[in-house]
Amino acid sequence: MSRISLAFKSFFNILFKDHLPENVARAYGYVKEAAGRTAPAKAAAPEIRSSDGALQILGILQRDARMLDFLMEDLKPYSDEQVGAAFREVNEQGRATLLRYVTVRPVIDAVDNTRISVPSRDPNLVKLIGNVPADGNVSQGILRHKGWRAERIELPKPPSGQDLQVLAPAEVEVE
Amino acid sequence: MPYVIGIDLGTTNSALAYTDAAAVQEPFEPPQVEMFAIPQLANPGEIRAEPLLPSFLYVPGPADFPAGATALPWNDTPAHVVGKLAQKRGAENIGRLVSSAKSWLSYSGVDRTSAILPAAAPEGVGKISPVTASRAYLQHLRDAWQSTMPDAPFDQQHVLVTVPASFDAVARELTLHAAQEAGYRNVVLLEEPQAAFYSWIQRNPHWREQVSVGDLILIVDIGGGTTDFTLIAVTEEAGELRLERLAVGEHILLGGDNMDLALAHTVHQQLVEKGTKLDVLQFNALWQQCRIAKEELLAPDNDAKEHPVTVLGRGTGLVGGTIKSKLTRKDLERVLLDGFFPAASSEDMPQARRRVGLTEIGLPYAADAAVTRHLAKFLRQQGGGLAAPTHVLFNGGVLRAGLVRDRIISVLNGWLAAEGKAALKVLEGEDLMHAVARGAAYYGLARAGKGVRIRGGVPRTYYVGVETAMPAVPGLPAPLKALTVAPFGMEEGTDLKFPNQEFGLIVGEPAEFRFFSSVTRRDDAPGALLEEVGEDLEELSPMEVHLPGENGQLVAVTLETVVTETGMLQLWCVARDGRRWKLEFNVRERVAA
Repeated sequence: MSRISLAFKSFFNILFKDHLPENVARAYGYVKEAAGRTAPAKAAAPEIRSSDGALQILGILQRDARMLDFLMEDLKPYSDEQVGAAFREVNEQGRATLLRYVTVRPVIDAVDNTRISVPSRDPNLVKLIGNVPADGNVSQGILRHKGWRAERIELPKPPSGQDLQVLAPAEVEVE
Repeated sequence: MPYVIGIDLGTTNSALAYTDAAAVQEPFEPPQVEMFAIPQLANPGEIRAEPLLPSFLYVPGPADFPAGATALPWNDTPAHVVGKLAQKRGAENIGRLVSSAKSWLSYSGVDRTSAILPAAAPEGVGKISPVTASRAYLQHLRDAWQSTMPDAPFDQQHVLVTVPASFDAVARELTLHAAQEAGYRNVVLLEEPQAAFYSWIQRNPHWREQVSVGDLILIVDIGGGTTDFTLIAVTEEAGELRLERLAVGEHILLGGDNMDLALAHTVHQQLVEKGTKLDVLQFNALWQQCRIAKEELLAPDNDAKEHPVTVLGRGTGLVGGTIKSKLTRKDLERVLLDGFFPAASSEDMPQARRRVGLTEIGLPYAADAAVTRHLAKFLRQQGGGLAAPTHVLFNGGVLRAGLVRDRIISVLNGWLAAEGKAALKVLEGEDLMHAVARGAAYYGLARAGKGVRIRGGVPRTYYVGVETAMPAVPGLPAPLKALTVAPFGMEEGTDLKFPNQEFGLIVGEPAEFRFFSSVTRRDDAPGALLEEVGEDLEELSPMEVHLPGENGQLVAVTLETVVTETGMLQLWCVARDGRRWKLEFNVRERVAA
């Protein structure tokens, strides 16, 4: 706002409303700010550790698909048929859960074992295998694995105070 | 009012559909109806929008959820958990779970306004009434809408809530009451089979080419918890096709959940024979697995002989404890076709309920699981032999199965052939899962004059008990006559007076009227007095009126029946000087039938 318009605004405000416009008063230091008003004392934000998301997704996969139970179990005593029956369930529920929270897409969306042009030299995106030339300069190759990329990850905010290291609570049945 | 909102308040799932009323210009144009994704707690601390709201309510205790984990976007500390999380957690702790509230709402054997649910609650759990539970679902839907569509306040939309056609006046009143308590304004009730038919119209803009004058359309609606039949006649008025709802069936507590449960018991029996035991949670898992197996086996292109049913081991021994079984097509067909849809004759009537002296208070599930026999009874109730439908429209998840649809069609055609009638046609193009909510939204437009409307009126005849004046005989109650106060088909927006029957009511104390209904007596004229209350009359909750004042004076009143524009039946007492008092249902007491 120009000084002239500020001056006019102040003049008419004092004349008709008996006080300075608030923005003018603030701009010229006529207001005593209460200390708490500009800097409200915020509750200390909970520390977010890089492991939190990992713990959370482990907890979710266990809750919805019993993934930890499956990975932690010694399968030696059981027949393939028994393992297969259980894994079918874990696989179905686990995939549904994973796709609910994470959108997973191939890095290169093409048919396995077909010749493709290499879209990038970035080793994070494309791993060259086989007879790789010394300078790494290749334009074509056979796609052996499409790779995976998490395009979107949406985990619910865990309730405050929840111990994420508890991946699954113990279950106790009351008789 | 920019939107018309249709709410399907189901026994196991609820849904909300909406349509933009203003966008419909051409009355014969099919309106665009959208399903609303309902935000709800899917897990503790996790809100997710889902197409359906499971009609389950959980009464949380101190040890159930971490603090703040049940917060909703619109309420940080809800008293109850509703929806998916309630269903999930409730399976683990049945004593805090309210389910099938809608079935309780229509059960006159209990006081539906008193806190009786969860039925299995241990001492100390804060129980709620069936009305309060229904209210919680309706309120959740309202709040979910408000928080998702802040620019279209719920109260300013036109809202329709569906009820089973077989709901009597009391159950309808209680549903309306629950909606009003949930903060609903402008709410209208609509019968579910009618909603399904509206949905069919909405999805078939050329429906007029598929039916003609004189046709009789049977709607078979099998939901999760109830089975509902309706007959709609196609008539003509001033050259325009007119639809008239002729009849609705009795309330049958029998649905898809019962069928899945029967399958689970069949598989369980086989496991027990092999010496495998399941705990409660595993049986619940088996129930779910059987539902999935049933749906897989009944899918159109599936010709597998069986589908695996796997219940994962409890505890950390997941693989070791896994129980494998299978649902065979043979068992599936036997349970569904022989158990629920037997090839009955049209003379077969459902087996009557066996009355046991002392019954536990529980829902009055249908004593006979055979849907086809209930259907035979319904078609025989219409007077003049077997009603002969020309078309059938299916609704409800169970009827997605071609097996079940084909059986019903073949049974119906068998009955029709025996009567020398032509085979019926099936009205195709329905959306079995969302039809009710969709149709309700369409009906909202129809009410606003933007679509065809089914005429119906009151689907039952209603009576008030009149005690005969005769010398008292010790030990014998005064004989009761029944005064017809609402004839079958009494139309919305009409009223009837009964000046010849005066009642003396004492001022200052409540007066009670016994109240009856019948789905079979169609020809009782208004004011007709039945000499005795027979088997074809069903007693409902009594109606009560309280004339204000203190002096114990006697006021002579006559009765007046009003069917409101929204289809609600009301009874009024009218004094000679014109003062009026509305009779209210007293659901707390019920005269023993």
